[in-house]
Amino acid sequence: MTAHFYWNGEPVPFRPGETIAAALLGAGIVHLGRGRIFCGIGACQGCLVAMTGAAAVEACLTPARNGLRLSPLAEEQADHD
Amino acid sequence: MTDGPVLVVGGGPAGASAAASLAEAGLPVLLVEQRDALGGAIHRQPAPGHAHHIRLPARHRRNWAALTARLSTTAGRIEIRTRTIFLGVDGQGRFLFDDRAAERVFACRPRAAIIAVGAVETIRPFPGWERPGVMTAGGAQVLLKETGRPPQGPILVAGSGPLLLAVAAQLAEAGNPPVAVLERGRPWRAPGALAQLGLSGGLVGEGLGYLARLAASRVPYRTGAEVTRAEPQGDRLKVVIRTGSAEDVVQVRHLLVHDGIAPNRTGIPLPAPDAAVPVLLAGDGREALGADAAILDGRRAAMQLLARFGRAETTTPAEERGLSRARAVQTALAQALHAEAAPPPPETLICRCEGRSYAELAALPEDASAREIRLMGRFGLGACQGRFCGPMIAALRGRPMPAAAPPRWPLRPVSLAALARLTTDETE
Amino acid sequence: MPPSPSLHVAVVGTGIVGAAAAHFLAASGARVTLLDATGPAAGATGASDGAVSVASKRPGPMMDIARHARAFYVRCEADGLFRGLFHRRSTFLVARTPVEAELVAQHGADLAVAGERVEEIGRAALLARIPGLGESVCAALEIPDDGHALGYEITERLLQRSRVAIRRDAPVSEIVTQAGRASGVAIRQEHLAADAVLVAAGIGSSALLGLGDILIPRKGQMAVTDRAAAGRPAIDGHLMAASYLAAKRGIVRDNAHIGLVIDPLMTGQFLIGGSREDHRDDHATDAPTIAAILRDALDLYPPLAERRVLRSFAGVRTASRDGLPILGLHPHLPGVAIATGFEGDGICLGPLMGACAARLLLGVPAGIDLSALSPQRFASAGGRP
Repeated sequence: MTAHFYWNGEPVPFRPGETIAAALLGAGIVHLGRGRIFCGIGACQGCLVAMTGAAAVEACLTPARNGLRLSPLAEEQADHD
Repeated sequence: MTDGPVLVVGGGPAGASAAASLAEAGLPVLLVEQRDALGGAIHRQPAPGHAHHIRLPARHRRNWAALTARLSTTAGRIEIRTRTIFLGVDGQGRFLFDDRAAERVFACRPRAAIIAVGAVETIRPFPGWERPGVMTAGGAQVLLKETGRPPQGPILVAGSGPLLLAVAAQLAEAGNPPVAVLERGRPWRAPGALAQLGLSGGLVGEGLGYLARLAASRVPYRTGAEVTRAEPQGDRLKVVIRTGSAEDVVQVRHLLVHDGIAPNRTGIPLPAPDAAVPVLLAGDGREALGADAAILDGRRAAMQLLARFGRAETTTPAEERGLSRARAVQTALAQALHAEAAPPPPETLICRCEGRSYAELAALPEDASAREIRLMGRFGLGACQGRFCGPMIAALRGRPMPAAAPPRWPLRPVSLAALARLTTDETE
Repeated sequence: MPPSPSLHVAVVGTGIVGAAAAHFLAASGARVTLLDATGPAAGATGASDGAVSVASKRPGPMMDIARHARAFYVRCEADGLFRGLFHRRSTFLVARTPVEAELVAQHGADLAVAGERVEEIGRAALLARIPGLGESVCAALEIPDDGHALGYEITERLLQRSRVAIRRDAPVSEIVTQAGRASGVAIRQEHLAADAVLVAAGIGSSALLGLGDILIPRKGQMAVTDRAAAGRPAIDGHLMAASYLAAKRGIVRDNAHIGLVIDPLMTGQFLIGGSREDHRDDHATDAPTIAAILRDALDLYPPLAERRVLRSFAGVRTASRDGLPILGLHPHLPGVAIATGFEGDGICLGPLMGACAARLLLGVPAGIDLSALSPQRFASAGGRP
């Protein structure tokens, strides 16, 4: 299998050097929980994804890594309205 | 003054140009860039192994090739740190950076700083702009440049400005032309401004090239048309379009929005060319004039700094003329595309992070201070730190949002653990 | 209390104390003009944690008054004034060394003597309440009757309810006197006539009343994180380290000392503080201090490693020379009342102190013993007032 990370436990393939956002979008994933990919340059903070045991990261700035386990921010963590 | 390097923040055209100019004059430079490669939004490089699908106009490719050549000639004097995000300046003058690869914040006290962090896109809010599937046109373009892959499914491009054409043409080139491009302005009704633009040469040629590409893919370019609402419908977005008094509806998977660019100044220190540690701004982060001007402006900032250090360096009149020309082009563009903004419906989200609506903004006292807008209104308190809602609020209230004084840091959210691992270049 | 139909009070300072005083004055029929150099909650009120906490108070009059002040919050919550803004929550006093454990035990004993409920909580029980707590925590006490409120929200509510007009951007430069008593205030070139003046301007009270040698600015740096939960506190109580108690009890006085508190906000975010920097009245924050606070916070509560810091900010507490607030009528200048020097306790004490200041100005008994706070104590020492 090609390089992949896990999104909600499902493998998402990526090509080396791609960001998490590019790989998600490439896999047709638009809904990041209640977040979304928006500005592409780390400014809007809309594409935050949760990484087990660490602080959330911007999908659009963070290179994808093999085996990474990612998920949307838990509903409770997402910004409420 | 320390003997340390001059700090250049941002590896786009302005930052690269400033760094090369300083290094050519013999100064050591620390160049930091948030992404894993230099280039900025305009020269976003494809990920390794991806073919370069998106070809920029030849002029831009030549410019970037020249800049990279200059950087490699002076490589011995330039330390480049990628994946490093500028977090602002603390109350004691430390410049702070989030080193994402090392998962650690570091602080340094440079001899001087040139900040070239580019622009952010302006968005005119409408109900639904916060929905998944809505992206900025520039954001989609950056992703497209990285992967060569357009988003899948029907795409609508809407808003205002020349970037709409560029993105739409590049999407067509990459194999997924948008269903339409909607330009809010009515440029054909501003012939004077168009004539002014006609004098600018390269840009108009570029624009015509994009229009030709769109025509070839039968992508309609509709002026005087804007998106008034977007709502989810299955895995699509139902988008309402208004053209004059007529309304129509399209269903798309992606809506790319963009209403121009503005300098990225949120939390950025004020320029202080005469301070003990001089701070200068350069490129679109100083004045949004576009990529060509950014190269000139980076060099201008470097020359200003060298003059401050007692070197007899100046910009050439040709460079100054280049900057004035770019300004004239931007002014003419703004005139050609000007469209009065009506206030959005009350339910429109203004602050996406905190879920605050236009109705809640309008309910604040007329003379509310920036602090009240933040604390009582809960606008600009979220993770984006007001980068998007700040300009919206300024536009809707008809006056700028006063900045927090002193400037707050971190100017981007930062991992708590990384900040706790702070390292400094000081011997304390 | 009887209304005084003609009384016009100028309240200088729209922090939590000034807003409370204005509210209760207006409720008694007085006419109030509320003035602030910038706007509501622009000082320490808007830059503080939300601890309505008896647990942190120094034994003696502060602890007693804080118990009244917290009870006042409970009453105001019940009668609707603070509805939705005040929440009961426990404070956990935590020790990470044997010496700290002794200090926490001593403080718990002092709280019990003051009548406060204090419960010993073992490490296992505490872990069940706050999963993930640091391994260094060796002893803890729970103070179950404490609470939480945000100063700027309380201020906003008081202003809304009282409908007192606020004048923003109205810096008061002078108290104007006539025949030996206050007759109003000067705002730039303007004279605002008033029958009485309440100075509740935090550190700004210093210049106005000549209290330069009595009031000390004490800067506190803090950080706010992203959300760990939505619309509810992420942990089941306010974590207060023994290092904070050591500072409050006057055992440590050092500008580099961190008095650590981890305050779980109602938004699900954490507010983490803070430094205690005497004679610093600026609002700048520096990276080494914030990093030191965060390292200490990670030791106490390691799950913070999953959080991001959204902001750092600083508030300036106004402390008095002897560590007690100043509340009472001016000893030499009739028509002036003073309410300042609340240090880091203004959110807890503010509403009650504002209500008491209103009563003093209206000439009615405050209802609690405030003698320890009287400005008179400095008058005899030779300083002004």
